[in-house]
Amino acid sequence: MANKIIELRNITKSFDGQVVLDNISLDIYDNEFLTLLGPSGCGKTTLLRLIGGFETPDAGDILFMGQRINDLPPHKRNVNTVFQRYALFPHLNVFDNVAFALRERKVPRQEIDQRVEEMLSLVALTGFEHRSVTRLSGGQQQRVAIARALVGRPRVLLLDEPLAALDLKLRKDMQQELKKIQKATGITFVFVTHDQEEALSMSDTIVVISEGRIQQIGASQDVYNEPKNAFVADFIGESNIVDGVMRQDRSVSFSGQTFVCVDEGFAPNEPVDVVVRPEDVDIVPPEAGMLRGVVTSVTFMGVHYEVIVDIGGFKWMIQTTDFVDVDEHIGLVIEPDAIHIMKKSEYSGLYGDYASFSNEFDELSDAESEADE
Amino acid sequence: MKRASKIFTALMFIFLFAPIAILLLFSFNEARSLSVFSGFSLKWYRELLRDTETLKTVRNTLVLAVCAAGVSTVMGTAAAVGIHRMRSRYLRSALDMVTNIPMINPDIITGISMMLMFVFVSRLLGLANSLSFVTLLIAHITFCLPYVILQVLPKLRQMDASLPEAAMDLGCTPWGAFWKVELPELMPAIVTGMIMAFTLSLDDFVISYFTTGTGFQTLPIRIYNMTKKTVTPDMYALATLIFFVILALLLLSNLTDSEDGQKVRAARRAKRAAGRRAPMSPRTRRILYAGGGTLALAALAASLIFAVTETDDRPPVLNVYNWGEYISDGSEGSMDVVKEFESWYRQQYGRPVQVNYTTFASNEDMYAKLSSGAVSYDVIIPSDYMIARMIAEDMLLPLDFDNIPNAQYISDDFRGLYYDPDNAYSVPYAYGVVGVIYNANVVDQADTGTWDLLWNEKYAGQILQFNNSRDAFGTAMYRAGLDVNADDHGPWDRALDDLLEQRSVVRSYVMDEVYNMMESGEAAVAPYYAGDYFTMLDAQADTVDLRFYYPEPTNFYIDAMCIPSCCQNKELAETFINFMLSEGPAIANAEYTYYASPNTLVYENQAYIDYMGQEAMDILYPDWGGFTEKYNAYAYRNLPFDTLNYINSLWETLKIN
Amino acid sequence: MNKKARRGSLVTGVTSAPYQLWAVIFIVVPLIFVAYYAFTDNDFRFTTDNITRFFTATSSVTGAGGATGEVRTYMVIVWRSVRLAFLSTVVCLLLGYPLAYIISRASDRAQKTMMTLIMIPMWMNFLIRTYAWMTILQDTGILNNLLAALHLGRVHIIGTETAVVIGMVYDYLPYMILPLYSIMAKMDHRLIEAARDLGCAPAGVLRRVILPLSMPGVVNGVTMVLIPSISTFYISQKLGDGMFFLLGDAIEGQYVAGNLHFAAAIAFILMVALLAAMGVMRRLTDKYTYGGQ
Repeated sequence: MANKIIELRNITKSFDGQVVLDNISLDIYDNEFLTLLGPSGCGKTTLLRLIGGFETPDAGDILFMGQRINDLPPHKRNVNTVFQRYALFPHLNVFDNVAFALRERKVPRQEIDQRVEEMLSLVALTGFEHRSVTRLSGGQQQRVAIARALVGRPRVLLLDEPLAALDLKLRKDMQQELKKIQKATGITFVFVTHDQEEALSMSDTIVVISEGRIQQIGASQDVYNEPKNAFVADFIGESNIVDGVMRQDRSVSFSGQTFVCVDEGFAPNEPVDVVVRPEDVDIVPPEAGMLRGVVTSVTFMGVHYEVIVDIGGFKWMIQTTDFVDVDEHIGLVIEPDAIHIMKKSEYSGLYGDYASFSNEFDELSDAESEADE
Repeated sequence: MKRASKIFTALMFIFLFAPIAILLLFSFNEARSLSVFSGFSLKWYRELLRDTETLKTVRNTLVLAVCAAGVSTVMGTAAAVGIHRMRSRYLRSALDMVTNIPMINPDIITGISMMLMFVFVSRLLGLANSLSFVTLLIAHITFCLPYVILQVLPKLRQMDASLPEAAMDLGCTPWGAFWKVELPELMPAIVTGMIMAFTLSLDDFVISYFTTGTGFQTLPIRIYNMTKKTVTPDMYALATLIFFVILALLLLSNLTDSEDGQKVRAARRAKRAAGRRAPMSPRTRRILYAGGGTLALAALAASLIFAVTETDDRPPVLNVYNWGEYISDGSEGSMDVVKEFESWYRQQYGRPVQVNYTTFASNEDMYAKLSSGAVSYDVIIPSDYMIARMIAEDMLLPLDFDNIPNAQYISDDFRGLYYDPDNAYSVPYAYGVVGVIYNANVVDQADTGTWDLLWNEKYAGQILQFNNSRDAFGTAMYRAGLDVNADDHGPWDRALDDLLEQRSVVRSYVMDEVYNMMESGEAAVAPYYAGDYFTMLDAQADTVDLRFYYPEPTNFYIDAMCIPSCCQNKELAETFINFMLSEGPAIANAEYTYYASPNTLVYENQAYIDYMGQEAMDILYPDWGGFTEKYNAYAYRNLPFDTLNYINSLWETLKIN
Repeated sequence: MNKKARRGSLVTGVTSAPYQLWAVIFIVVPLIFVAYYAFTDNDFRFTTDNITRFFTATSSVTGAGGATGEVRTYMVIVWRSVRLAFLSTVVCLLLGYPLAYIISRASDRAQKTMMTLIMIPMWMNFLIRTYAWMTILQDTGILNNLLAALHLGRVHIIGTETAVVIGMVYDYLPYMILPLYSIMAKMDHRLIEAARDLGCAPAGVLRRVILPLSMPGVVNGVTMVLIPSISTFYISQKLGDGMFFLLGDAIEGQYVAGNLHFAAAIAFILMVALLAAMGVMRRLTDKYTYGGQ
């Protein structure tokens, strides 16, 4: 890959005796779109603030192009931030907000005009120069914040949940736009979000964080298809996670049956977590199924139905385009490459059962935006 | 950077607390001085506790502050809620503007404007007593209101408009929603507003100065009126006590806060970073509620008590209006004359009487209040020229000397004086003669003896002059042999020239500051009254040796007891005057003030002579060689308004040079 | 606004009725009385003499070189009052601004403590506080004794304009700090971080972000200091050694001399001038601060 821009080495940080980041090591490469993904309070914002220079680590080093920058104040770092809820200067208009960093560097007037115009056209705000920032819509404020952070041509742009305050439609558009801007400028983006869909659709690399520790680093597909543990599997997409035992290479038993799978390298009879994505399960008549169960609920989701099936007391979620009725007995078929095996971890048994599942519940925990430090 | 800001902060707090440290230190001073520390003593605290008049003004101040804070909090909160919901944009901005007026207007204008209105209205309605606790309370409420409103209004604007809607949705009536949801949200702002109102009311002097009336004096006014004599260290003791009470209250509130505060504080810190509003701990909320409730209740109770005691059948009240520090008040083991009168009266007549003793800082100050017609006093003690003026303006009542038999003990020297030739309106209380006080360690004996010492360039920068026009002009006119009561402008212009010439050698124009400056050696020459010389002598620093002489000619003044025409109980007033003339009280007053007494019962009394010492007796009661003639020749007389006005403008000329 | 107007008509307006009445009777009417007295003579006949006198009365003064000249008495007084008030306000701002800033950046507990400490002196009577300053500043006072003990020589402060300014700064500093602090404490911390992030050193953050954002606080603070210091009379008497005559002294002097109508005239002129000045100031700050109120 390309050169490392930022290296984090064994970073630890705590507030009031509470460990927020625990021994984090991470490399960030040039021209990369990297996402820090995790639930509220997992420490991802703190990690971003460490890179930005607003916090200093208790232990460990931060390197920028090979130089240790632990104690370098924010204004001397070649890194800019797009803040949560933007933090635009209310006393300055759009132009002056964007020009802020350039004025600080005493860039000649003409060049300022030219670069600000460039930035405003990049974020499609040409013509808004003299508008007060307090009279802009959320999306427009967002663009000003991005232009303001980019105008100084930083090596790295840090984005702290920049889309959280936008409504769904606008958020989707901005996701595309951010991706485009990143490609156009070639600047490394470090993006913080708790929205897994957002992370999957935008990132080159996703860093999944929970409870101050990195759970997995990888490309979008890798993280989705081969989650390292139950936490990652559950946090990214929907997953049925059941206890299983690895009989031998490419053979696993769970739910009272033995299945053929594609995983190898486990000890014989090693207890494992088995992940099956809901969309990878086919519904067949009961007699043709590898597993049999009773449908307990069916929810129409537009493109597909979300079906909850009780199999021996464990509730599975299945996404299907075929209609089934509640209380209907059905059979399930799972292809070998739909089965993903994970080593047991501290998260085993915590996720993956849809017994208490409800859509609303999920929404609630998402709506609460970041407040972690 | 960090270090610099720490040093800066420390310096600022030193600046803020330096005067308070001084107060603390001098409240423990052995001597009366506020500039020379002579030894540790708790005496001023004992004095303070014995000083019923001061304690009464403290009580008054607190009652006033609590009432003003209570009423303005309730009315202000209601007003804020109303303004917030007002539909008419026009009306709202008009009210906003009016609310801002008391904040933008200087105190002195607010005070004067209210005084003018009260006085005018009372004249119109023929009310005798319109300046009183009520007017003072109205004034205080008026200047406190904006602070409450401007605390509550922004809070209302910040408040989520759907909060009361949610409450109503859940079955509350609009009123219920207000009490249960909005009011608790507003509580912190309301409490802050109330505390501000309380503080402002407590510290206000200027507005009170203009709107106060009969019988109700607050602490700041009492302190201001001590100007004629000197601010006594028991005021420092009082300030120190106030300081420690506040400190204790704050510590207490901090302690109760820290118990359950930890968790909330941590949460608050976290939330603050995320830019959200901090939650209030239920405990803080309870405390705020309890505090607010208690204060409101206290306000209500206090105003009720006040209303009741004002209207109830109380013992007859005697309103006495005197110079500050001009009566024996029980300090340092002296007789508390006012208290003594009350108990004597009860013994004599078998029924109680209550004396309301209040003070003024100058004759003019007193005259301004009396002539406004908005106050009512029974006994006043003005100076001679003011008595003449008040007689001329029909403001005094002739005395019935059958009720004042003790008037016979007044020396014959004090009968038939110009201001009251028929001895009908006044009985002399004390008299004084202006002399020159000097520090013998600085001033050559050879330079003393005449008024010229005040103009002597040898002592430039160490000479003090009176800070009031009449007395300052007097010194120049006696020196130049001019008539101090001249009607035409010539002599005054001439005196102004002399005063302008003197200005370059004058250190300061002073009233009560003369004490500090002479005692500490800050200044070496000052014209002042013989009696006050002894007060200074008691407190002079080791390096200072104060002496005194009378230049010729000089000013004589007499302060006499009179009954103003607004008197409500003339017989009682005369009884009081008679009591003041009897031996015990008269001697107590003379010993307390150090001024010469016209009462033979005093200056012929051996105990009094022994107490004062022969040296002091020689200075206070020299052989004048015809007191009456000298007095009538040199004492100040009442001047016509135009002349006074002219002197006033000359005085301003002197001051702006 | 619509929402607010729609609901709770029961409570609307009525609750502010007592205040409206109060405001008219005790705020507006007294001001009319000031105007009435200002434009009448002792017999309540209309006259503009009081006003004219204020602007035209002259005194002869002797300059430094011994030359005498005519000056307009009250213009001299006004000029001196304005100058001293302005000076005190500037000093209050220069001292109060950094202090308010330091406090607003301290920990919660320290903020609370320091703000209480700043409030405490306000609870002690201001006449007594001023008196204590006399003890400190006079030639044989604490300050000079301290300087002498340190072999730094003596300073003559009492009776100078400096002493009056010190007194005013001392008494009115809390009025400067309070509004500044409250606006700085509320200031969004992320704006400061954003500025740092965009390359501002701490000094730049102060100049380019905190200062402009705290302008409303500055305006409030300046107003709250300027107004009492332009009209004070006690401080100038005590710490100025009676050597200076300020507007407040003039008003009080006329009141004590029984010249109510002229006192009202001076008050009236002062009031009109201040209201005009405040109007201009509000307009300017509305223009130069974002959003307005």
